[in-house]
Amino acid sequence: MGVNAPSVRLPLTFVLTGLVALLTGMSWLVIRPAILAEYHYNQYVIATTHLFVLGWICSVVMGAMYQLVPVALETKLYSEKLAGWQFAFHVVGFIGMVWMFRVWNMKQVGHFGCVFATGVGLFVYNIARTLRRVPKWNVTATAVTAALCWFSLTVTAGLFIAIGKCSYETSEGLATAEGVRTLVGGLRQLAGFMSHFDAISAMHAHAHLGGVGFFTMLIVGVSYKLIPMFALSEIQSTRRAVWSVALLNVGLAGSFVTILLRSPWKLAFALVVIAALVVYGIELAAILRARKRRVVDWGIKYFLTAVGLYAPVSVLAVVLAWPGLPLNPFTGQLENVYGFLGLIGVVSFAIMGMLYKIVPFLVWFGSYSRQIGRAQVPALADLYSAKLQAAGYWSYLAGLIVTSSAIMFSSEAFVRCGCALLASSISTLVINVGMMLSHYIRPCLKPLSTSPSAILKTA
Amino acid sequence: MSSQKQIKYESGFNGGAELTVMKKQPLMDSGRGNMHAVDVREDIRNGREPFSKIMSAVAALPADGQLLLIAPFEPAPLFGVLAKQGFKHESRQLESGDWEVLFTRQPAALPTETAPTSASHDFGHRTAVGQPNVTEVDARGLEPPQPMVKILEALASLPPGAMLQARTDRRPMHLYARLEERGFTGESQEQSDGSFLTHIHQR
Repeated sequence: MGVNAPSVRLPLTFVLTGLVALLTGMSWLVIRPAILAEYHYNQYVIATTHLFVLGWICSVVMGAMYQLVPVALETKLYSEKLAGWQFAFHVVGFIGMVWMFRVWNMKQVGHFGCVFATGVGLFVYNIARTLRRVPKWNVTATAVTAALCWFSLTVTAGLFIAIGKCSYETSEGLATAEGVRTLVGGLRQLAGFMSHFDAISAMHAHAHLGGVGFFTMLIVGVSYKLIPMFALSEIQSTRRAVWSVALLNVGLAGSFVTILLRSPWKLAFALVVIAALVVYGIELAAILRARKRRVVDWGIKYFLTAVGLYAPVSVLAVVLAWPGLPLNPFTGQLENVYGFLGLIGVVSFAIMGMLYKIVPFLVWFGSYSRQIGRAQVPALADLYSAKLQAAGYWSYLAGLIVTSSAIMFSSEAFVRCGCALLASSISTLVINVGMMLSHYIRPCLKPLSTSPSAILKTA
Repeated sequence: MSSQKQIKYESGFNGGAELTVMKKQPLMDSGRGNMHAVDVREDIRNGREPFSKIMSAVAALPADGQLLLIAPFEPAPLFGVLAKQGFKHESRQLESGDWEVLFTRQPAALPTETAPTSASHDFGHRTAVGQPNVTEVDARGLEPPQPMVKILEALASLPPGAMLQARTDRRPMHLYARLEERGFTGESQEQSDGSFLTHIHQR
């Protein structure tokens, strides 16, 4: 067994980057609520979505995976050096992409997308090599592997869409080298291929690959390890867990093809995905019923509420996948609600809950684990404010309800109110993370107690 | 009978209401003499080590005293520790899922073994029977990072040359580096029940 402790600094760097992106994105929505109150096929919606998805969600997920995958699957990370390089590609890539989406320069989106994709390649390679070392394969390892495959496809699909939106006329007169001409020729052919598909359908198919294939797959797979760990329980039915992951894969594969081709069969595959989530919910409930730790802390409450939000998202999925559903201003806004609740409701809320478990542990481990038995070290709960955490929970929930309702009825004023609530909730998380990090910068140690009980303990 | 008992609550957790509920519990009526109740649920919930609190209460018990312990899980490792001090125990699970355990001192009974050696007083932390140089720590049923805290605290007071055996629910991935830093090495083996036994010794 290796003795290298997983790095603390690396995942914390990813998490902090994610929090900056989250706060920036939500502030952007407060300043410009029309982004959500209008139909989503415009440059600002796409820029904001990529800020949330790449800057916030991917940053945190990647950082957390570098830490959690080796721990949960009982192995070592293949290379921390590669992870450091990936961070550089990731930050340059996603900031450039978001900015170029905003000014709608698809050529530069493609270039920055390639930078981002290089980082993703390093990430996927690093985690895949780590998975090869797993001593005992299990459902979480399967889900993580599937998530990596879907993530790679998501990035590929995104690049294809960007290639399809570029025009290549300006390159015709250029006297460039043979290699460049071959490359441009290949890109033009790809653009021609992409023109066979409806642009909005391609975008929706790309979004589902990421939202379901990467994020939901990880929520499902990783929680089969983390929830038992935090609630002191065990998986109750491995078969049920395997079925949930298998159905999710089948449902997503079918959904991707049917959404892309605008097929009426997309409803059937949406139902398969929902069936996977139902099976997941049943297993999660069984795990929680069998828990030894009766208290459900706020971190777990955030996560479970997020999982509960799959219910309204699933209802919307059925409605929006209904064959022959007309696209009118109201159904267009329902699509906005669906995307918003999926990413900001389910995925972001779940991540916030997990951050409240992961970040205190990382900080505590980095600052205090060397001092155990040598000095009095604070408990995890002493690293942040539980009251702020609770306030953050309720303001986030209220923000989701207000914003979703406001999106449905295209009310910019109420979108602004709802997003302000969400921003205030995010601020509580930022303050709490700041409190945690203060322990990382300046550990709070006390000498070992000389009280009678301590003497008894060490007598 | 129970109405004549002197009951003191050490924890501030929902004190009055808890008292009302607990008066209905059978274990309250099964003992005799003074009873001291210790509720460690809040401590464990907040990630605090409850052992010091429990042992302080034990030390303060009168000769005919009883200790009523309320915990979120059955504290099986504690039974052995207190048995060595002449306590018998009765445990039962409450409707809430928590456990209450009544420890009763047996006046006639003397500890069956000599007092535990150093570093053997922890909650789930004892010298292995028949292996005088091996100290056992049972860190199962604890949320991270409590297993690591328990093991490293036990390690800090381990006699020179002794070996530590730690039982955990999961492979203690974060522990190995900390062991190395302290001049120890650990080898974990998965047990038939899915838990892990880590053998820790000096390098």
